[in-house]
Amino acid sequence: MPDPVIASVGASPLGRTDLPGRDLFSVALAEAFDDLPDPADIVEAVYVGNQSETYEHQIMQGTLLAEWAGLRHVPAERVEGCAAAGALALRHAVKDVRNGEHEAVLACGVEKMTSAGTSGATDALSAAFDRAIEQRSGITAPSQYALLGQRYLHETDATERDLAEIAVKNHANAARNPRAQFPKEIDVATVLESDPVAPPLKLYDCAPVGDGAAAVLVTTAEMAADLDQPQVRVAGSGASANNIAVAERDMTDIAGARIAAETAYDEAGIDAEAVDIAEVHDAFTVCEALLAEAAGFAPAGTGYQSYQPPAERADGWTDVQLSPSGGLKARGHPIGATGLLQALEAYEQLTGAAGDRAVEDAETALLLNEGGVADAVTVGHVLTTAEAP
Amino acid sequence: MTDGGLDASGDSMTDGGLDATDPRTLPGFFDALADGELLGGVCSDCGQVLLPPRPACYACGSRAVDVEPQSPEGQIFSYTAVHTPPPAFAADAPYTVAVVELADGGRLLGRVAADYADVTIGDAVELTVREPTATEREVALDYESDWPVHVFEPR
Repeated sequence: MPDPVIASVGASPLGRTDLPGRDLFSVALAEAFDDLPDPADIVEAVYVGNQSETYEHQIMQGTLLAEWAGLRHVPAERVEGCAAAGALALRHAVKDVRNGEHEAVLACGVEKMTSAGTSGATDALSAAFDRAIEQRSGITAPSQYALLGQRYLHETDATERDLAEIAVKNHANAARNPRAQFPKEIDVATVLESDPVAPPLKLYDCAPVGDGAAAVLVTTAEMAADLDQPQVRVAGSGASANNIAVAERDMTDIAGARIAAETAYDEAGIDAEAVDIAEVHDAFTVCEALLAEAAGFAPAGTGYQSYQPPAERADGWTDVQLSPSGGLKARGHPIGATGLLQALEAYEQLTGAAGDRAVEDAETALLLNEGGVADAVTVGHVLTTAEAP
Repeated sequence: MTDGGLDASGDSMTDGGLDATDPRTLPGFFDALADGELLGGVCSDCGQVLLPPRPACYACGSRAVDVEPQSPEGQIFSYTAVHTPPPAFAADAPYTVAVVELADGGRLLGRVAADYADVTIGDAVELTVREPTATEREVALDYESDWPVHVFEPR
Protein backbone atom coordinates (compact mmCIF):
# COMPACT_ATOMS: atom_id res chain seq x y z
CA MET A 1 0.00 0.00 0.00
CA PRO A 2 1.27 3.51 -0.74
CA ASP A 3 2.51 5.45 2.28
CA PRO A 4 0.40 8.61 2.64
CA VAL A 5 2.28 11.77 3.58
CA ILE A 6 1.46 15.40 4.08
CA ALA A 7 3.37 17.29 1.41
CA SER A 8 2.23 20.85 2.03
CA VAL A 9 0.00 22.98 4.27
CA GLY A 10 -1.52 26.43 4.30
CA ALA A 11 -3.93 28.54 6.31
CA SER A 12 -5.80 31.80 6.16
CA PRO A 13 -5.65 34.42 8.88
CA LEU A 14 -7.72 33.29 11.88
CA GLY A 15 -10.26 35.31 13.83
CA ARG A 16 -12.53 38.11 12.73
CA THR A 17 -11.78 38.63 9.04
CA ASP A 18 -13.43 40.51 6.19
CA LEU A 19 -13.26 37.52 3.85
CA PRO A 20 -16.11 35.08 3.07
CA GLY A 21 -15.41 31.36 3.35
CA ARG A 22 -14.42 30.69 -0.22
CA ASP A 23 -11.93 33.56 -0.12
CA LEU A 24 -10.46 32.34 3.14
CA PHE A 25 -9.96 29.03 1.36
CA SER A 26 -8.21 30.76 -1.55
CA VAL A 27 -5.74 32.32 0.88
CA ALA A 28 -5.04 28.98 2.57
CA LEU A 29 -4.66 27.21 -0.78
CA ALA A 30 -2.28 29.87 -2.11
CA GLU A 31 0.05 29.29 0.84
CA ALA A 32 -0.09 25.51 0.45
CA PHE A 33 0.69 25.67 -3.27
CA ASP A 34 3.23 28.48 -3.12
CA ASP A 35 6.10 26.25 -4.27
CA LEU A 36 4.04 23.67 -6.13
CA PRO A 37 2.47 23.17 -9.55
CA ASP A 38 -1.10 24.42 -9.83
CA PRO A 39 -3.68 22.26 -8.04
CA ALA A 40 -5.17 21.29 -11.40
CA ASP A 41 -1.86 19.65 -12.32
CA ILE A 42 -1.75 17.28 -9.36
CA VAL A 43 -4.90 17.18 -7.20
CA GLU A 44 -7.22 14.26 -7.93
CA ALA A 45 -9.93 14.68 -5.27
CA VAL A 46 -11.11 17.22 -2.69
CA TYR A 47 -12.63 16.84 0.78
CA VAL A 48 -13.93 19.91 2.60
CA GLY A 49 -14.46 19.95 6.36
CA ASN A 50 -17.29 22.36 7.13
CA GLN A 51 -19.56 22.54 10.14
CA SER A 52 -22.61 24.48 9.14
CA GLU A 53 -24.39 25.99 6.17
CA THR A 54 -26.09 28.48 8.47
CA TYR A 55 -23.08 30.85 8.53
CA GLU A 56 -23.15 31.55 4.80
CA HIS A 57 -26.27 29.71 3.62
CA GLN A 58 -24.06 27.57 1.43
CA ILE A 59 -23.79 23.83 1.06
CA MET A 60 -22.06 22.18 -1.92
CA GLN A 61 -18.73 23.25 -0.44
CA GLY A 62 -16.94 20.43 -2.28
CA THR A 63 -18.09 21.69 -5.65
CA LEU A 64 -17.49 25.32 -4.75
CA LEU A 65 -13.99 25.01 -3.36
CA ALA A 66 -12.83 22.58 -6.05
CA GLU A 67 -13.88 25.15 -8.61
CA TRP A 68 -12.17 27.97 -6.72
CA ALA A 69 -9.01 25.83 -6.76
CA GLY A 70 -9.21 25.51 -10.53
CA LEU A 71 -10.30 21.91 -10.39
CA ARG A 72 -13.16 20.54 -12.42
CA HIS A 73 -14.41 17.02 -12.91
CA VAL A 74 -12.74 15.66 -9.79
CA PRO A 75 -14.61 13.97 -6.93
CA ALA A 76 -15.29 16.69 -4.37
CA GLU A 77 -17.47 16.66 -1.29
CA ARG A 78 -18.16 18.35 2.01
CA VAL A 79 -17.49 16.25 5.11
CA GLU A 80 -19.68 16.93 8.15
CA GLY A 81 -18.97 16.00 11.75
CA CYS A 82 -19.22 19.34 13.53
CA ALA A 83 -15.78 20.27 14.86
CA ALA A 84 -14.28 16.95 13.72
CA ALA A 85 -15.09 17.68 10.08
CA GLY A 86 -11.53 18.79 9.32
CA ALA A 87 -9.89 15.61 10.59
CA LEU A 88 -12.56 13.52 8.90
CA ALA A 89 -11.63 15.25 5.62
CA LEU A 90 -7.96 14.49 6.31
CA ARG A 91 -8.81 10.87 7.09
CA HIS A 92 -10.68 10.46 3.80
CA ALA A 93 -7.72 11.90 1.90
CA VAL A 94 -5.31 9.60 3.74
CA LYS A 95 -7.44 6.55 2.97
CA ASP A 96 -7.70 7.45 -0.72
CA VAL A 97 -3.92 7.68 -1.00
CA ARG A 98 -3.31 4.62 1.12
CA ASN A 99 -5.78 2.58 -0.94
CA GLY A 100 -4.08 3.59 -4.16
CA GLU A 101 -7.19 5.38 -5.36
CA HIS A 102 -5.41 8.71 -5.78
CA GLU A 103 -1.84 10.03 -5.61
CA ALA A 104 -2.72 13.53 -4.41
CA VAL A 105 -5.80 14.61 -2.49
CA LEU A 106 -6.62 18.02 -1.05
CA ALA A 107 -8.07 17.98 2.48
CA CYS A 108 -9.31 21.40 3.41
CA GLY A 109 -11.63 23.03 5.89
CA VAL A 110 -13.40 26.33 6.16
CA GLU A 111 -15.75 28.14 8.51
CA LYS A 112 -17.06 31.70 8.43
CA MET A 113 -18.28 31.78 12.02
CA THR A 114 -18.40 35.54 12.56
CA SER A 115 -21.10 36.09 9.95
CA ALA A 116 -23.92 35.60 12.44
CA GLY A 117 -22.41 36.92 15.66
CA THR A 118 -21.94 34.97 18.89
CA SER A 119 -25.61 34.14 19.16
CA GLY A 120 -25.69 32.83 15.59
CA ALA A 121 -22.65 30.66 16.28
CA THR A 122 -24.21 29.42 19.53
CA ASP A 123 -27.32 28.43 17.62
CA ALA A 124 -25.42 26.78 14.77
CA LEU A 125 -23.26 24.78 17.17
CA SER A 126 -26.25 23.63 19.22
CA ALA A 127 -27.36 21.70 16.13
CA ALA A 128 -24.57 19.24 16.95
CA PHE A 129 -26.53 17.99 19.95
CA ASP A 130 -29.47 15.61 20.14
CA ARG A 131 -32.50 17.51 18.95
CA ALA A 132 -35.20 15.65 20.83
CA ILE A 133 -33.87 15.98 24.38
CA GLU A 134 -30.73 18.13 24.50
CA GLN A 135 -31.54 20.98 22.12
CA ARG A 136 -35.07 21.29 23.44
CA SER A 137 -33.63 21.67 26.95
CA GLY A 138 -31.63 24.71 25.79
CA ILE A 139 -28.20 23.10 25.86
CA THR A 140 -25.19 24.83 24.24
CA ALA A 141 -21.63 23.78 23.45
CA PRO A 142 -20.12 25.41 26.56
CA SER A 143 -22.83 23.97 28.82
CA GLN A 144 -22.32 20.48 27.43
CA TYR A 145 -18.61 20.66 28.22
CA ALA A 146 -19.42 22.27 31.56
CA LEU A 147 -21.35 19.10 32.46
CA LEU A 148 -18.16 17.13 31.79
CA GLY A 149 -16.08 19.70 33.65
CA GLN A 150 -18.33 19.71 36.71
CA ARG A 151 -18.13 15.92 36.86
CA TYR A 152 -14.36 15.97 36.32
CA LEU A 153 -13.84 18.40 39.20
CA HIS A 154 -16.10 16.20 41.34
CA GLU A 155 -14.22 12.97 40.60
CA THR A 156 -10.61 14.23 40.61
CA ASP A 157 -8.32 16.55 42.56
CA ALA A 158 -8.49 19.12 39.76
CA THR A 159 -9.66 22.65 40.58
CA GLU A 160 -10.98 25.55 38.53
CA ARG A 161 -7.52 27.07 38.93
CA ASP A 162 -5.97 24.01 37.25
CA LEU A 163 -8.31 24.44 34.30
CA ALA A 164 -7.37 28.12 34.18
CA GLU A 165 -3.69 27.15 34.09
CA ILE A 166 -4.36 25.11 30.94
CA ALA A 167 -5.70 28.26 29.26
CA VAL A 168 -2.68 30.23 30.49
CA LYS A 169 -0.28 27.61 29.07
CA ASN A 170 -2.04 27.56 25.70
CA HIS A 171 -2.03 31.34 25.45
CA ALA A 172 1.70 31.31 26.22
CA ASN A 173 2.21 28.85 23.36
CA ALA A 174 0.07 30.96 21.03
CA ALA A 175 2.16 34.03 21.87
CA ARG A 176 4.94 32.35 19.87
CA ASN A 177 2.65 31.34 16.99
CA PRO A 178 2.28 33.98 14.27
CA ARG A 179 -0.84 32.20 13.00
CA ALA A 180 -2.68 32.43 16.33
CA GLN A 181 -5.96 34.27 16.77
CA PHE A 182 -4.87 35.37 20.27
CA PRO A 183 -1.05 35.55 20.24
CA LYS A 184 -0.81 36.96 23.75
CA GLU A 185 -0.09 35.72 27.24
CA ILE A 186 -2.71 35.89 29.97
CA ASP A 187 -2.60 35.22 33.70
CA VAL A 188 -4.64 32.92 35.91
CA ALA A 189 -6.62 35.75 37.47
CA THR A 190 -7.81 36.85 34.03
CA VAL A 191 -9.30 33.39 33.48
CA LEU A 192 -10.76 32.98 36.97
CA GLU A 193 -12.32 36.44 36.96
CA SER A 194 -13.77 36.24 33.44
CA ASP A 195 -17.52 36.09 32.94
CA PRO A 196 -19.35 32.84 33.68
CA VAL A 197 -20.40 31.06 30.50
CA ALA A 198 -21.48 27.74 31.97
CA PRO A 199 -20.00 27.05 35.41
CA PRO A 200 -17.42 25.83 36.13
CA LEU A 201 -16.39 27.18 32.70
CA LYS A 202 -15.74 30.89 32.26
CA LEU A 203 -15.12 32.94 29.16
CA TYR A 204 -11.36 32.26 29.16
CA ASP A 205 -11.94 28.51 29.49
CA CYS A 206 -13.59 28.61 26.06
CA ALA A 207 -12.09 28.61 22.57
CA PRO A 208 -13.15 31.68 20.61
CA VAL A 209 -15.54 32.05 17.72
CA GLY A 210 -13.54 32.89 14.61
CA ASP A 211 -13.17 32.58 10.85
CA GLY A 212 -10.56 30.49 9.13
CA ALA A 213 -9.55 28.03 6.46
CA ALA A 214 -6.80 25.47 6.15
CA ALA A 215 -5.51 23.33 3.29
CA VAL A 216 -3.48 20.13 3.61
CA LEU A 217 -2.09 18.28 0.59
CA VAL A 218 -1.92 14.51 1.09
CA THR A 219 0.16 12.58 -1.43
CA THR A 220 2.18 9.43 -1.83
CA ALA A 221 5.71 9.62 -0.44
CA GLU A 222 6.98 9.33 -4.00
CA MET A 223 5.01 12.31 -5.23
CA ALA A 224 6.10 14.45 -2.27
CA ALA A 225 9.70 13.57 -3.11
CA ASP A 226 9.14 14.39 -6.79
CA LEU A 227 7.69 17.74 -5.71
CA ASP A 228 10.79 18.29 -3.55
CA GLN A 229 8.57 18.97 -0.53
CA PRO A 230 9.34 18.33 3.15
CA GLN A 231 7.09 15.42 4.05
CA VAL A 232 5.45 14.10 7.20
CA ARG A 233 4.14 10.54 7.29
CA VAL A 234 0.55 9.86 8.26
CA ALA A 235 1.42 6.69 10.11
CA GLY A 236 -1.98 6.04 11.68
CA SER A 237 -5.60 7.13 11.48
CA GLY A 238 -8.52 6.16 13.69
CA ALA A 239 -12.08 7.36 14.21
CA SER A 240 -14.90 6.50 16.57
CA ALA A 241 -18.46 7.67 17.07
CA ASN A 242 -20.18 7.47 20.46
CA ASN A 243 -23.70 8.29 21.67
CA ILE A 244 -25.19 11.55 20.45
CA ALA A 245 -26.49 12.38 23.94
CA VAL A 246 -23.83 13.19 26.51
CA ALA A 247 -25.97 11.82 29.37
CA GLU A 248 -25.66 8.31 28.01
CA ARG A 249 -21.87 8.30 27.87
CA ASP A 250 -19.15 7.90 30.46
CA MET A 251 -18.54 11.59 31.06
CA THR A 252 -14.97 11.36 32.34
CA ASP A 253 -13.58 8.36 30.46
CA ILE A 254 -13.73 9.69 26.91
CA ALA A 255 -13.96 6.26 25.30
CA GLY A 256 -14.32 7.39 21.69
CA ALA A 257 -11.14 9.44 21.92
CA ARG A 258 -9.31 6.56 23.58
CA ILE A 259 -10.35 4.22 20.74
CA ALA A 260 -9.47 6.74 18.01
CA ALA A 261 -6.03 7.30 19.54
CA GLU A 262 -5.35 3.62 20.14
CA THR A 263 -6.38 2.75 16.59
CA ALA A 264 -3.98 5.37 15.25
CA TYR A 265 -1.20 4.14 17.58
CA ASP A 266 -1.74 0.55 16.47
CA GLU A 267 -1.54 1.48 12.80
CA ALA A 268 1.63 3.45 13.47
CA GLY A 269 3.10 0.64 15.56
CA ILE A 270 3.72 2.90 18.55
CA ASP A 271 2.30 3.52 21.99
CA ALA A 272 1.43 6.74 23.80
CA GLU A 273 4.95 6.99 25.27
CA ALA A 274 6.37 7.60 21.80
CA VAL A 275 4.36 10.76 21.22
CA ASP A 276 6.41 13.97 21.54
CA ILE A 277 3.70 16.54 20.81
CA ALA A 278 -0.08 16.39 20.70
CA GLU A 279 -2.61 18.79 19.31
CA VAL A 280 -5.77 17.87 21.21
CA HIS A 281 -9.25 19.30 20.98
CA ASP A 282 -9.12 21.89 23.77
CA ALA A 283 -12.34 23.63 22.73
CA PHE A 284 -12.76 24.08 26.49
CA THR A 285 -9.94 23.79 29.02
CA VAL A 286 -11.34 20.62 30.58
CA CYS A 287 -11.09 18.88 27.19
CA GLU A 288 -7.30 18.99 27.31
CA ALA A 289 -7.35 17.26 30.70
CA LEU A 290 -9.81 14.59 29.56
CA LEU A 291 -8.01 13.98 26.26
CA ALA A 292 -4.59 13.71 27.90
CA GLU A 293 -6.04 10.76 29.81
CA ALA A 294 -7.89 9.28 26.83
CA ALA A 295 -4.74 9.45 24.70
CA GLY A 296 -2.79 7.49 27.30
CA PHE A 297 -0.50 10.38 28.27
CA ALA A 298 -1.78 10.65 31.84
CA PRO A 299 -3.16 8.28 34.48
CA ALA A 300 -6.90 8.66 35.10
CA GLY A 301 -7.65 11.78 37.10
CA THR A 302 -4.35 13.55 36.42
CA GLY A 303 -4.82 14.91 32.91
CA TYR A 304 -5.38 18.39 34.33
CA GLN A 305 -1.62 18.56 34.98
CA SER A 306 -1.00 19.09 31.26
CA TYR A 307 0.12 22.66 31.93
CA GLN A 308 2.96 21.56 34.16
CA PRO A 309 6.48 20.77 32.94
CA PRO A 310 6.88 16.99 32.45
CA ALA A 311 9.10 16.59 35.54
CA GLU A 312 6.40 18.04 37.79
CA ARG A 313 3.48 15.93 36.60
CA ALA A 314 2.16 12.88 38.43
CA ASP A 315 3.87 9.51 38.09
CA GLY A 316 2.75 7.75 34.96
CA TRP A 317 2.57 10.86 32.80
CA THR A 318 4.56 10.82 29.57
CA ASP A 319 6.80 13.72 28.53
CA VAL A 320 4.40 14.85 25.79
CA GLN A 321 3.92 18.56 25.13
CA LEU A 322 0.27 19.44 24.56
CA SER A 323 -1.07 22.07 22.16
CA PRO A 324 2.22 23.74 21.14
CA SER A 325 0.21 25.81 18.63
CA GLY A 326 -1.79 27.38 21.45
CA GLY A 327 -4.58 24.93 20.81
CA LEU A 328 -8.15 25.72 19.94
CA LYS A 329 -8.17 28.05 22.93
CA ALA A 330 -5.66 30.56 21.62
CA ARG A 331 -4.55 29.48 18.13
CA GLY A 332 -8.24 29.57 17.17
CA HIS A 333 -11.13 27.22 16.39
CA PRO A 334 -12.80 27.89 13.02
CA ILE A 335 -14.79 24.70 13.39
CA GLY A 336 -14.46 22.87 10.05
CA ALA A 337 -10.84 23.96 9.64
CA THR A 338 -9.64 23.01 13.12
CA GLY A 339 -8.62 19.40 12.44
CA LEU A 340 -6.50 20.61 9.53
CA LEU A 341 -4.95 23.40 11.59
CA GLN A 342 -3.87 20.67 14.01
CA ALA A 343 -2.24 18.83 11.09
CA LEU A 344 -0.61 22.07 9.96
CA GLU A 345 0.95 22.57 13.39
CA ALA A 346 2.31 19.03 13.44
CA TYR A 347 3.68 19.43 9.90
CA GLU A 348 5.53 22.60 10.88
CA GLN A 349 6.82 21.05 14.11
CA LEU A 350 8.04 17.88 12.40
CA THR A 351 9.64 19.64 9.41
CA GLY A 352 11.55 22.23 11.44
CA ALA A 353 9.27 25.08 10.43
CA ALA A 354 7.78 25.92 13.83
CA GLY A 355 10.11 28.81 14.60
CA ASP A 356 10.15 30.02 18.20
CA ARG A 357 7.61 27.47 19.33
CA ALA A 358 9.49 24.42 18.02
CA VAL A 359 9.47 21.50 20.44
CA GLU A 360 13.00 20.16 20.47
CA ASP A 361 13.60 16.81 18.75
CA ALA A 362 9.89 16.27 18.07
CA GLU A 363 9.47 13.26 15.76
CA THR A 364 5.98 11.96 16.52
CA ALA A 365 2.71 13.83 16.89
CA LEU A 366 -0.81 12.81 17.87
CA LEU A 367 -3.80 14.80 16.65
CA LEU A 368 -7.20 14.40 18.35
CA ASN A 369 -10.13 16.25 16.82
CA GLU A 370 -13.63 15.97 18.33
CA GLY A 371 -17.09 16.75 17.00
CA GLY A 372 -20.28 17.29 18.96
CA VAL A 373 -19.69 17.27 22.69
CA ALA A 374 -16.51 15.37 23.54
CA ASP A 375 -16.39 12.01 21.78
CA ALA A 376 -19.68 12.15 19.87
CA VAL A 377 -17.14 11.63 17.12
CA THR A 378 -13.36 11.66 17.51
CA VAL A 379 -10.65 11.36 14.87
CA GLY A 380 -7.06 10.52 15.76
CA HIS A 381 -3.97 10.75 13.56
CA VAL A 382 -0.36 9.87 14.24
CA LEU A 383 2.11 11.89 12.19
CA THR A 384 5.82 11.17 12.15
CA THR A 385 8.92 12.59 10.52
CA ALA A 386 10.05 10.80 7.39
CA GLU A 387 13.10 9.60 9.37
CA ALA A 388 11.19 8.25 12.39
CA PRO A 389 11.35 4.46 12.78
CA MET B 1 -43.28 -4.80 23.07
CA THR B 2 -40.27 -7.03 22.59
CA ASP B 3 -39.09 -6.90 19.04
CA GLY B 4 -36.01 -7.47 16.95
CA GLY B 5 -33.34 -10.03 17.71
CA LEU B 6 -31.41 -12.39 15.50
CA ASP B 7 -33.73 -15.23 14.64
CA ALA B 8 -32.77 -18.66 13.38
CA SER B 9 -33.01 -17.65 9.73
CA GLY B 10 -30.59 -14.76 10.25
CA ASP B 11 -33.29 -12.21 9.45
CA SER B 12 -32.66 -9.73 12.23
CA MET B 13 -34.64 -6.71 11.11
CA THR B 14 -38.20 -6.85 12.33
CA ASP B 15 -38.84 -3.14 12.89
CA GLY B 16 -40.34 -2.46 9.48
CA GLY B 17 -43.74 -1.98 11.09
CA LEU B 18 -42.59 0.89 13.33
CA ASP B 19 -45.12 3.68 13.30
CA ALA B 20 -45.68 6.87 15.29
CA THR B 21 -47.56 5.05 18.04
CA ASP B 22 -44.52 2.90 18.85
CA PRO B 23 -42.59 4.30 21.84
CA ARG B 24 -39.36 3.39 20.10
CA THR B 25 -40.13 6.38 17.84
CA LEU B 26 -40.01 9.95 19.14
CA PRO B 27 -43.75 10.65 18.58
CA GLY B 28 -44.62 7.50 20.50
CA PHE B 29 -42.22 8.39 23.33
CA PHE B 30 -43.50 11.96 23.65
CA ASP B 31 -47.16 10.87 23.47
CA ALA B 32 -46.57 8.70 26.52
CA LEU B 33 -44.57 11.46 28.22
CA ALA B 34 -47.45 13.90 27.69
CA ASP B 35 -49.55 11.46 29.70
CA GLY B 36 -46.95 11.57 32.46
CA GLU B 37 -45.31 8.27 31.65
CA LEU B 38 -41.54 8.16 31.08
CA LEU B 39 -40.81 5.16 28.87
CA GLY B 40 -37.34 3.71 28.43
CA GLY B 41 -35.93 1.08 26.19
CA VAL B 42 -34.46 -1.83 28.14
CA CYS B 43 -32.11 -4.17 26.32
CA SER B 44 -33.24 -7.71 26.93
CA ASP B 45 -29.69 -8.96 26.30
CA CYS B 46 -27.58 -6.67 28.49
CA GLY B 47 -30.07 -4.64 30.53
CA GLN B 48 -28.96 -1.22 29.28
CA VAL B 49 -31.64 1.47 29.69
CA LEU B 50 -32.12 3.68 26.63
CA LEU B 51 -33.72 7.13 27.01
CA PRO B 52 -35.62 7.70 24.81
CA PRO B 53 -36.31 4.14 23.56
CA ARG B 54 -34.85 3.21 20.17
CA PRO B 55 -34.69 0.09 18.04
CA ALA B 56 -31.13 -0.93 18.96
CA CYS B 57 -29.03 -1.06 22.12
CA TYR B 58 -25.94 1.14 21.96
CA ALA B 59 -24.17 -0.87 24.62
CA CYS B 60 -24.25 -4.27 22.95
CA GLY B 61 -25.83 -3.79 19.53
CA SER B 62 -28.82 -6.01 20.24
CA ARG B 63 -32.11 -5.15 18.61
CA ALA B 64 -34.05 -6.98 21.31
CA VAL B 65 -35.22 -3.84 23.10
CA ASP B 66 -38.20 -3.94 25.45
CA VAL B 67 -40.06 -0.76 26.39
CA GLU B 68 -40.73 -0.29 30.09
CA PRO B 69 -41.94 2.57 32.35
CA GLN B 70 -39.08 4.29 34.16
CA SER B 71 -39.12 5.83 37.61
CA PRO B 72 -39.25 9.64 37.43
CA GLU B 73 -37.03 9.87 40.51
CA GLY B 74 -33.30 10.35 40.31
CA GLN B 75 -30.19 12.17 41.42
CA ILE B 76 -28.14 14.99 39.91
CA PHE B 77 -25.12 13.42 38.16
CA SER B 78 -23.72 16.67 36.79
CA TYR B 79 -25.07 20.18 36.30
CA THR B 80 -24.35 23.66 35.02
CA ALA B 81 -26.09 26.91 34.19
CA VAL B 82 -26.47 28.33 30.70
CA HIS B 83 -25.42 32.00 30.67
CA THR B 84 -25.04 32.27 26.88
CA PRO B 85 -28.23 30.67 25.54
CA PRO B 86 -29.30 29.97 21.97
CA PRO B 87 -31.52 32.84 20.71
CA ALA B 88 -34.69 30.81 21.26
CA PHE B 89 -34.06 30.58 25.02
CA ALA B 90 -32.53 34.02 25.60
CA ALA B 91 -35.31 35.14 27.93
CA ASP B 92 -34.78 32.17 30.26
CA ALA B 93 -31.05 32.63 30.92
CA PRO B 94 -29.35 31.86 33.16
CA TYR B 95 -31.06 28.49 33.54
CA THR B 96 -29.88 25.29 35.18
CA VAL B 97 -29.34 22.12 33.18
CA ALA B 98 -28.36 18.74 34.55
CA VAL B 99 -27.67 15.15 33.69
CA VAL B 100 -29.84 13.08 36.02
CA GLU B 101 -29.29 9.45 36.91
CA LEU B 102 -32.74 7.91 37.26
CA ALA B 103 -33.63 5.28 39.81
CA ASP B 104 -33.99 2.58 37.15
CA GLY B 105 -30.49 3.21 35.81
CA GLY B 106 -30.97 5.41 32.75
CA ARG B 107 -29.50 8.90 32.46
CA LEU B 108 -31.33 11.87 30.98
CA LEU B 109 -30.45 15.53 30.42
CA GLY B 110 -32.95 18.25 31.22
CA ARG B 111 -33.64 21.61 32.80
CA VAL B 112 -33.72 21.84 36.59
CA ALA B 113 -36.32 24.09 38.25
CA ALA B 114 -33.79 25.55 40.69
CA ASP B 115 -31.05 28.15 40.74
CA TYR B 116 -27.56 26.86 39.97
CA ALA B 117 -26.35 27.87 43.44
CA ASP B 118 -29.01 25.67 45.03
CA VAL B 119 -28.05 22.48 43.17
CA THR B 120 -25.27 20.02 43.80
CA ILE B 121 -24.23 16.56 42.61
CA GLY B 122 -26.27 13.88 44.35
CA ASP B 123 -29.36 16.03 44.93
CA ALA B 124 -32.66 14.16 44.64
CA VAL B 125 -34.91 15.31 41.81
CA GLU B 126 -38.10 14.16 40.14
CA LEU B 127 -39.01 14.39 36.48
CA THR B 128 -42.11 16.45 35.79
CA VAL B 129 -43.76 17.20 32.47
CA ARG B 130 -45.40 20.35 31.17
CA GLU B 131 -46.84 21.57 27.89
CA PRO B 132 -44.51 23.65 25.71
CA THR B 133 -44.75 27.41 26.16
CA ALA B 134 -45.82 29.68 23.32
CA THR B 135 -42.17 30.61 22.77
CA GLU B 136 -41.13 26.98 22.67
CA ARG B 137 -43.87 26.22 20.15
CA GLU B 138 -42.63 29.08 17.97
CA VAL B 139 -39.17 27.59 17.61
CA ALA B 140 -40.39 24.00 17.38
CA LEU B 141 -40.37 22.07 14.14
CA ASP B 142 -43.85 21.35 12.86
CA TYR B 143 -43.84 17.80 14.14
CA GLU B 144 -42.48 18.83 17.56
CA SER B 145 -44.95 21.58 18.36
CA ASP B 146 -47.12 19.51 20.73
CA TRP B 147 -44.31 17.54 22.33
CA PRO B 148 -44.18 18.06 26.08
CA VAL B 149 -41.13 19.45 27.90
CA HIS B 150 -39.65 17.63 30.87
CA VAL B 151 -38.22 19.50 33.85
CA PHE B 152 -36.49 18.11 36.93
CA GLU B 153 -37.92 19.41 40.21
CA PRO B 154 -35.91 19.20 43.43
CA ARG B 155 -37.44 16.73 45.91
